[in-house]
Order: sequence, then structure tokens, then C-alpha cells
Amino acid sequence: MTRERCYPYATVLPVLVVVALFTVYPLLYSVHLSVHENVLTRPHDHDFVGLQNFREVVTGYYFWRSLWSTATFAVMAVAAVALYGLGTALLLNQALLGSALLNVVVLLPWAIPTVISGIIWRWIFDGDYGVLNGLLLVTGVVNRYVPWMSQTFTARLCMVVAHVWKQGPLAAVFLVAALQVIPPALYDAAHIDGAGRWKAFRFVTLPYLKPTLGLVLIYETIVAIATFDLVYVMTGGGPADATAIIGWYAYTEIFRFLNLGHGAALALILGVMLLGLVMVYLRAFRSEDAA
Amino acid sequence: MRGRGARRLERAALNTLCLGVTCFILAPFVWMLICSFAGEAELTRRPPVFVPTPPTLANYTFIFTGQLPRDPARHGIFVWQTSQEVRSLLPALRNSFIVAVSVMAANVLFGALAAYSFARLRFPGRGSSYAFILISRLMPAVAVAIPFYAIVQRFDLLDTYRALILVYLAFTFPFTIYFLSVYFRYLPAEVEEAALLDGCSRFQTLLRVVVPCAAPGLVAAAAFAFMTAYNEFLFALLLTQTIAAQTMPVLLAAVATNPAVSHALLAACVILAIIPPALLALLLRRYLTRGLVASIAR
Repeated sequence: MTRERCYPYATVLPVLVVVALFTVYPLLYSVHLSVHENVLTRPHDHDFVGLQNFREVVTGYYFWRSLWSTATFAVMAVAAVALYGLGTALLLNQALLGSALLNVVVLLPWAIPTVISGIIWRWIFDGDYGVLNGLLLVTGVVNRYVPWMSQTFTARLCMVVAHVWKQGPLAAVFLVAALQVIPPALYDAAHIDGAGRWKAFRFVTLPYLKPTLGLVLIYETIVAIATFDLVYVMTGGGPADATAIIGWYAYTEIFRFLNLGHGAALALILGVMLLGLVMVYLRAFRSEDAA
Repeated sequence: MRGRGARRLERAALNTLCLGVTCFILAPFVWMLICSFAGEAELTRRPPVFVPTPPTLANYTFIFTGQLPRDPARHGIFVWQTSQEVRSLLPALRNSFIVAVSVMAANVLFGALAAYSFARLRFPGRGSSYAFILISRLMPAVAVAIPFYAIVQRFDLLDTYRALILVYLAFTFPFTIYFLSVYFRYLPAEVEEAALLDGCSRFQTLLRVVVPCAAPGLVAAAAFAFMTAYNEFLFALLLTQTIAAQTMPVLLAAVATNPAVSHALLAACVILAIIPPALLALLLRRYLTRGLVASIAR
């Protein structure tokens, strides 16, 4: 009998221990770092400084700049991923030859490392020898090479394209799954009621997709805000900090300026922001369900 | 009622759209493949040579054997000398493999055991530990980078496989648990109850009844874990220092951010590095999508 009672704990414990070791302790440690002075270039001063790190970070010029960059990137990226994902999902859900073809390749970008997708797209957008410039030149769209990655707006756009290419497939696969559980009878009913294509989409498809769409939006927002690999290989935060989104900023505070206190404070702010966003999304989608 | 012509037009339009998206997905891969068979001189031209003639294997030869090309003018011998790091690609891929396969195995083993308990058993602490495991995933990686480093250093595991495996397990367990427990819950419980009545223990039931039924879910969970570990960058960058444990993304990021890199060599590296995950995605496509479907179709 005791064996029966111990079994669930014996199975759950290994997982719980690993997850806890890398959650609870790191979080406490981060909080500890954030309220102490911790600059690696001054190794002997570890005074308790209260909220000074947070104050310094929040009042700094770069913080607001990086927040702005993060917001622009996240809004563009999440919207683009959701639209591209939805479009691809609708295409995949058709009984067409093209859909079958698309179905074979759709998961490929999702499967490869973000670092590699960044390397590929950086090379495509390269201002000196990029193939995009080459193709545009050959077809006569531009008459000289455009430095895509060295202008604020186009550099952001390039990152969004790379991000959408890599993240879109997962959104599409999730949404296709949701599309497939919609009972076909509902479309027949809508058709009989005289609903056209758009109305059927609006009043049958969309309500059914809503929970999944919510999930996709939450997940993609977290991914976009926490983006780091892509910045690392594609732009290094440039040009002029245009792509220095908050995850990258925290990284540079820690590993370039060696200010662990600032880095930890930033990272905690980032964590709270993400948590807040998740709450807002969950609330929005739940309350609409109830209504 | 719409006519046949309109319907045919619509099909053609949708097919074209499908083809467009397929091109968008494949074009970057195709260009990398082309670059990997080109000489550096052909790529650093405006516009670049779109079809290298004749295609050359020199880039791959150099990565595998270190042999310099016979046609130095075409391959830009100078950038080859500043791209020596690509010779570490094979050891880096080996490291990535060892780490990813270990993470995958541990996920299937411990993940399935724990997920089954969460799905079928009632025990005190079940709800809170399940919630804790899931919520842990919300923590942004950057937020805990320094503490992770401190933990790994304290255990004296810097620059080892074990450190990366441990960290990746903490990252992958939450998803595996969630995914598999949802999957298990949707299997018919009657068969398991029959097995229990016949005197099987919980563990035997899991092994003999649940695992065969849940094979697609387990394959999907394994593939997800493998890919997460194979693709991870930030912690691999942080916790490894030498090629003894450096994984492929760390090495490729180092190669790619070198301003004097040979793009042809880099392209060949990229092609070699994406073969394993691309194969997984192509071969296990059904399992992966079916697994995803099962996990969200409540």
C-alpha cells in the first residue's frame, strides 16, 4: 500500500527537483543581485543599495530606447506572425495540390536553430553582397545596392522578416489543428442561412479559432520580447541601437559592461513585464468567452 | 451559385498562393545550398553569380579535411585563412548531438513517468506541483543567466556536457510534462483499468498499455526535446568555453560574426548543421503536427 502511495512522488520528484533547482534558486539569486552593487570591474564593493539599480536602469536613456525598440519589434513581429500563420493555416486547410506541397515543407524553418535563420537572412539582406540586392538590381527595381541592415527602419523590417519566417510555421500548425476540429455542418448551416465566404469566416471560423489564436498571441509575444539569438547574429543591436531590444540590452549590461546589478534588475523588469502581458491576454480571452 | 469557371479561377489563385508561401519558405535554404557550392569570388560580385559553374565541393572538402582549394583565385584564399574556425564544425556538431540525444532520452523517460502520474493519479500536492512546473517556463532566460552560471560553476560543471544537459532538462521538462499529460488524459482509461485489475502495477500499466498507445505523442515529445536542445544558444554561449563542449550554434555564431568570414564556407557549415533538424521535421512531420493537435484539441 505504501508503495502505491509513494509511486506518484517517485515519478514526479526527479522532474520537480531539476525544474526547482533552475527556477527558485536563480530567481532568489537574481533578486539578491539586483539590490546589491555588483560591478565586475569593482570586485570588492558589494554594498546593499536597495532599489538603486532599478532606479538607475529605469531612469537611463538606453532603457527607454530599448523599450521603444522592443515595443516596435514585438508589435510588428506578433502581428506579422499571426497574420502569416493564419493565412498559411487557411491555405493548408484546403484540399489542393499546393496545400499538400506546402504541408511538406512548412515545418522546416521552425525546426532549424534561430541562430542559423539569423545567419541566413543576414547574408540575404547584406548591403554589400546580399542576394536580395542582387535580384533587385538584375530585375531593375533598384539601380544600386541598398544597405538594408544599416538603416533604422529597414533593419527592423529585416529582423521581422527573419522572425516571421522562423516563427510563422508553428503558429500555422497550431491554427490548422484548430481549423480541423470545426464541425463542417456549421459551414453548411451558415451557407443555408445565406452567409458568404467572409461572413462564414467571421462568424464560424474566427470564434472557433479564438482560444488557439489567444494561445498563439501569448506565446509569440513572449518569444518576440525575449528575442536574443536573432539580434546577436543579425545586427548586434545596431544600427544606432534600433534593434537593441530589451533582452539584448540586459545581455550587454551583464556581459559587455559587466554590471550584474543592472543586468539582474533589467532582467527582473523584463520578467514582470512578460508575466503582466500574459495576465492581460488571459483575462481578455477569458472574459470574451464568458460574455 | 458560382460557375465552374469562377471555381477553377479560385483554385488556381489558391494554388499560386500556396506556391508563393512554399517559395518564401524554401528560397533561403536554396540560396544557402547554392552558396555552399560556390567560390567566394562568385559571391562577392555585384550581382552575385546565381548559378556557380561548375559547382565546387571545395567548401565541404575544407570543412571535413582541411584541404585548401586548387583554385585559390575563385575561392579567395585570404578569407579562408581568417575562417579557420569552420574546421571545428564537426566536433561542435558532435557536442550538439551528445547533448541533444541525452536531453531527449531523459525527457522521454522521466517526462513520461511524471506526466502519467499527473494525468491519471490523485495525490496531495499534484495540482500545485503541476502548476509550478508549467509556470516555471514563463521565466525569461536572460533573467536567470547569471544565477545559472553561478550554479553550474558551484557544481564545477563549466564547459561540460552535463551542465548543458541539466539546464536544457529544466527548459524542456515543462513542455514535455504538459504535452504528455494532456496526451495521456485523452487515451481511453478503460484499458488501463483492466490492466490494473489484472494485477499490473502502475508502472507496468504505463509500460505495457500506455506507452504503445501513446507512441505518436512520445515520438513528438522526443523530437521537440531534441530540437530545443540542438537549437539552444544563450546558455550554450554562457556555459561553455572551449570546443570540448561548445555546441554548433555557438560555433556558427562565432564564425558568422567574424567580419572577414568566407560566406561560401559559412553556407556549407549552415547546410551541414541543418541536416539533422530538417530531416526530423520532414520525416516526423505527421507525428509532430498530430502531437500538437492532440495537445490543444482539449
